[in-house]
Amino acid sequence: MAPKVDFIKCDGCKAQDEPLCEQVCPGNLMTLGENGKAYCRETSDCWDCMSCTKICPVGAIETRMPFQLGYHGAKLIPMMGTNTITWTCIDIDGKVERFRCKTRTD
Amino acid sequence: MEKRIPKIGVYICDPGGKVGKVIDLQILAEKCGKTKGVEHSEVIADPWSEEFLSGVREKIGAGEIDRIIWGGRFTVRQQEILKEKLTEATLNPYLHEWCDLELHGVGQNTEGTNVQQKKALSLVKMAIARAKHLQPLEPLDIPATDAAVIVGAGIAGLHVAASFLERGKPVHLVEQQSGVGGKVALLSRFYPLNCDPHCGLEYVLKSLRGSDKLTLHTLSKPTAIEGAAGNFLVTLQTEPRYVDENRCNGCGLCTEVCPVDLPVYTDNVQDEPPFQWENGIGSMIRDTRKAIHPSLPYAFPESYVVDRQACPEGCAKCRDICPTQAIELDQVPSERNLKAGAVVATTGWDPYPLSKMSAYFGYGSYPNVIGNLEMEQLLSRMSRGIDNLSAPPVKDLKTVGFVQCVGSRNKQHLSYCSSICCSATIKQIQQLKSIQPEVTCVVYYQDMRCIGFEEDMYQAVKKSEDILFVRGFPQITGSESGSSQLLAVAEDTFSGKPVKKDLDLLVLAGGMQLSQAGQDFAEVSGLPLNENNFLTGHYQCYPEESQRSGILSGGCARGPMNVSQSIDSANRAALKALNFLDGSISIQPTYPLVDKTKCDECKRCVEECPFACYHYDEKGFPEPDLGKCRQCGNCMGTCPVAAISLNNFTIKQLAAQIEVLENSFLDYEEPVILAFLCENDAYLAARAAVDSGLNPPLNAIYVKVPCAGAVNNAVVADALALGIDGILIAGCSDGQCHYVNGNQLVLKRSGDLREKLTTMMIEPERVRSESVEIQESTRFVEILEDYIKDLKELGPNPFKI
Repeated sequence: MAPKVDFIKCDGCKAQDEPLCEQVCPGNLMTLGENGKAYCRETSDCWDCMSCTKICPVGAIETRMPFQLGYHGAKLIPMMGTNTITWTCIDIDGKVERFRCKTRTD
Repeated sequence: MEKRIPKIGVYICDPGGKVGKVIDLQILAEKCGKTKGVEHSEVIADPWSEEFLSGVREKIGAGEIDRIIWGGRFTVRQQEILKEKLTEATLNPYLHEWCDLELHGVGQNTEGTNVQQKKALSLVKMAIARAKHLQPLEPLDIPATDAAVIVGAGIAGLHVAASFLERGKPVHLVEQQSGVGGKVALLSRFYPLNCDPHCGLEYVLKSLRGSDKLTLHTLSKPTAIEGAAGNFLVTLQTEPRYVDENRCNGCGLCTEVCPVDLPVYTDNVQDEPPFQWENGIGSMIRDTRKAIHPSLPYAFPESYVVDRQACPEGCAKCRDICPTQAIELDQVPSERNLKAGAVVATTGWDPYPLSKMSAYFGYGSYPNVIGNLEMEQLLSRMSRGIDNLSAPPVKDLKTVGFVQCVGSRNKQHLSYCSSICCSATIKQIQQLKSIQPEVTCVVYYQDMRCIGFEEDMYQAVKKSEDILFVRGFPQITGSESGSSQLLAVAEDTFSGKPVKKDLDLLVLAGGMQLSQAGQDFAEVSGLPLNENNFLTGHYQCYPEESQRSGILSGGCARGPMNVSQSIDSANRAALKALNFLDGSISIQPTYPLVDKTKCDECKRCVEECPFACYHYDEKGFPEPDLGKCRQCGNCMGTCPVAAISLNNFTIKQLAAQIEVLENSFLDYEEPVILAFLCENDAYLAARAAVDSGLNPPLNAIYVKVPCAGAVNNAVVADALALGIDGILIAGCSDGQCHYVNGNQLVLKRSGDLREKLTTMMIEPERVRSESVEIQESTRFVEILEDYIKDLKELGPNPFKI
């Protein structure tokens, strides 16, 4: 399911030409709307890689879980550390699981 | 980057034996010695003994250790001494790491010895982790210009120029008018000594005349200021003078043949005269000047200047008569670039336009209602015995009224007190009385504010019987008798009775505001004005500096000042500017570095840098201008991909420290707090809390940061994911941040993080930002205790093992 942008939080990366989500999206799907906020222009093409969700500096993007993985209301939320990602997985019953993975960007 | 395995020496110093009484330092040293990377570990009694130091030097020389961790308390001075002593043994000063155990409450009391022992180990391990990522650093020297540009040649600008010339620095003095002197040249006297300001101007000009290092650019103003401290490029727009400054000897033959008469005291570059002559006293003074005339307001440079707009077509009488062929009537405006190490703005003040107050006191309606700057001119003429005033109202003054706070302390006009007008009025009364002793004066005021030594002047004037002080503002009407006198009716709010006076002259003490030139300067330099529309830096801590290093402001450009305060301020600005005029700028190596392999070019750092020091390099990456950078680290805090690090305070070092942070020094239920403390206040408050025996709880581990805004969310996320129960970020109070708004930025960012935590089903209270002032050590301890209480209620962090 496509990323959903919280228009109140999104600051369009200070209205630069390309917001961060647009830069990282492998499918080049994110772009700035006329209101200066980011949005996904072709929701059906999104393959839920969550790059935009991870990079958003103000935490304005949420990736909805596809129904095959979790029913409506299930959530997968990344929190980016310096060289780790902490994932929080919440299923529709409210059960929480957390994972911490190292990223090797150095 | 070198890939050597670091060899760390750990020296735990406990000169007083205070810490040693509480915890076992030998065990601590032993455990440290077993940590990977540590080559040597010992407890020492006296780090200052030559015997010990030479031992360390030997170890460094033999390559046994290449970085040192000092456990224990060292003052900054002691740190510098140790760094210096070991620099001789080729240990770079940035390869030391300081681990202040006592700051963290170790050895302060005998409670919880076990916890203290474990905490000490945890702290040293953090220091070891950080030490592994230390890099040798050297300060940068950037070649710079030793010349200075001063904008505005009033009394402040002249004093700045004199200071620079004394130090042998080349000076470009830029003035919008044709001559120097500014507003002071228009005064009749200045207080408290009541001397002639021309004497004061002449005194400072003495050091300027004939100096080959001074270049005076009259009729000029800056149109662009590029670059950073040490290497500014200032673009000047210069209007033609039509007289060759070097050839003109000021003989004055030209004025004898010039056919044009102009009203005195208007200048050819100003669209409007310096103050409102037309309505007030302008109609009373019969003086005129020619289209070619000496420089105004003060005849320095000594060359004449032509008001070309006033010249009749085809007239070249002045050129024909000039014995030195100095007159060049075909000059055109020019532009030039000046290199400067520092720019000092001494752009001065303008009187608040009294026309805006015309509804109150009849300014503009009655010719004998004038501003106090016009009164200066009047007094100057009276004292010199120039008696060409268009007689009736002023020739034989009987009663003169003065109204204070015209425009100042008035929310619709200037909300602030212009601070000099009360004393200026007292001075004018004194001078008026000395010329016409029989005159009666009435002062209408709301409060008389003659501060400091000026009180003596006030008391002296108050004693006189024919000077009446009325607390209340008058209503002005034409006299009932039909003479040129004014009728002033005011309610004296002390007696509650109306006071009626017939006045021959009414002087309005108008307020001071930033000059037009100052506003233009702010626009050209991109500097903000403060809430009162003056140029300023941090109002208290670095008043003369601005948000752009190397650009300073002095005198009335900073706020209302009298002449002596203005000179004070100018000299302070000059002193600060000298730092940038050494011919090279030394930059501390702790500047920010952008990791271009990580950078996504999101440009957030460019937007959020409080000093606008980022620009784009040729590939579109952000690059800090090191001359402008104040090394606050707000870019480091803001970077969404954590790609920016201050040297010696890198994201990597922080992450490594946090990664080894063992929260097991406390019981599982006891919350562990990681506190990022701004080094300007919160850190010092924490230190004072320990020193004054407040016994702050052992739960917190402090990390000193250059500014609260330098804390990156990724680092905070790291700590949370590793099971730290609470993160405290403590910075300055609002509006007190030395880096403009670092505390605001971090508030916004931690707010974002809190919202994310909420969605993650983690209590948002685990991230808390606070503002702590330097003296609030008691409050700091309260904050910690309060936070511990809250965290206990929340229970341990879900990530805590």
